[in-house]
Amino acid sequence: MSTTPLEVEEPLTDEALGTDRPWIVIVWNDPVNLMSYVVYVFQKLFGYSREKATRLMLQVHHEGKAAVSEGTREKAEADVARLHAHGLWATMEHPS
Amino acid sequence: MSPQVDRRGEGIVVTLDANEVDLLRAIPGEVRGALERPASKDDPVYNRLFPSAYLDPTEESAEQEWQELVHPELLQSRLAALDLMLSTLDRAETKRGRAVVELAPEEVEAWLGVVNDARLTLGTQLGVTEDAEAEAIDPSDPTAPAHAAYGWLTWFENDIVETLLG
Repeated sequence: MSTTPLEVEEPLTDEALGTDRPWIVIVWNDPVNLMSYVVYVFQKLFGYSREKATRLMLQVHHEGKAAVSEGTREKAEADVARLHAHGLWATMEHPS
Repeated sequence: MSPQVDRRGEGIVVTLDANEVDLLRAIPGEVRGALERPASKDDPVYNRLFPSAYLDPTEESAEQEWQELVHPELLQSRLAALDLMLSTLDRAETKRGRAVVELAPEEVEAWLGVVNDARLTLGTQLGVTEDAEAEAIDPSDPTAPAHAAYGWLTWFENDIVETLLG
């Protein structure tokens, strides 16, 4: 039997991990917002190309949701607010 | 005739029949009523117009702080859009029996926002689904006029967006 003392792992706090783990902004599918309008909003708010905006819109439409932006908590909160201002259903999460 | 949306410079020109102008004039009052509803997480219309940012229940205090910071701003900008839409309708010119309104880019944004908020409100109240084909409404149904208004707004919004996307 080894007598080497066990290394105790300090549990990492959310704050400590948060520096490299970005917050993700999710847009959810809903029955009202038009496909064309969602493409328009993604292009306008995030400066995405028509192709990227369309790809994300189709992902929302077919899979029920898509990650549309990421960053610090503050950036994600601002992006969610801008999406809500345009009537899109957006939330933010910090994947573990 | 259906509404006509044409590009003009950075903005658009909208050509409408008298009954379409009447519908658009009635909308800001409806949307204002929906926007100014008391905050309630049990109210589907309120939740649709002002969703939560955080789904994670452990972020409840962050959610509350975010709502306190953002809600007044979201409400004010949407109410301002209602006023801007009404004032632009006031300056419509009549040409060959139809109303013609020229909209600058920030006015187009206001119209889009109001029309979309109206659709979110109506769509939530009517419980619309994505499958529009399945929603042939009996004309005697008491919600038939609201469905018709919703359908018209859907076409109109799509016309504006397609014109902007080019």
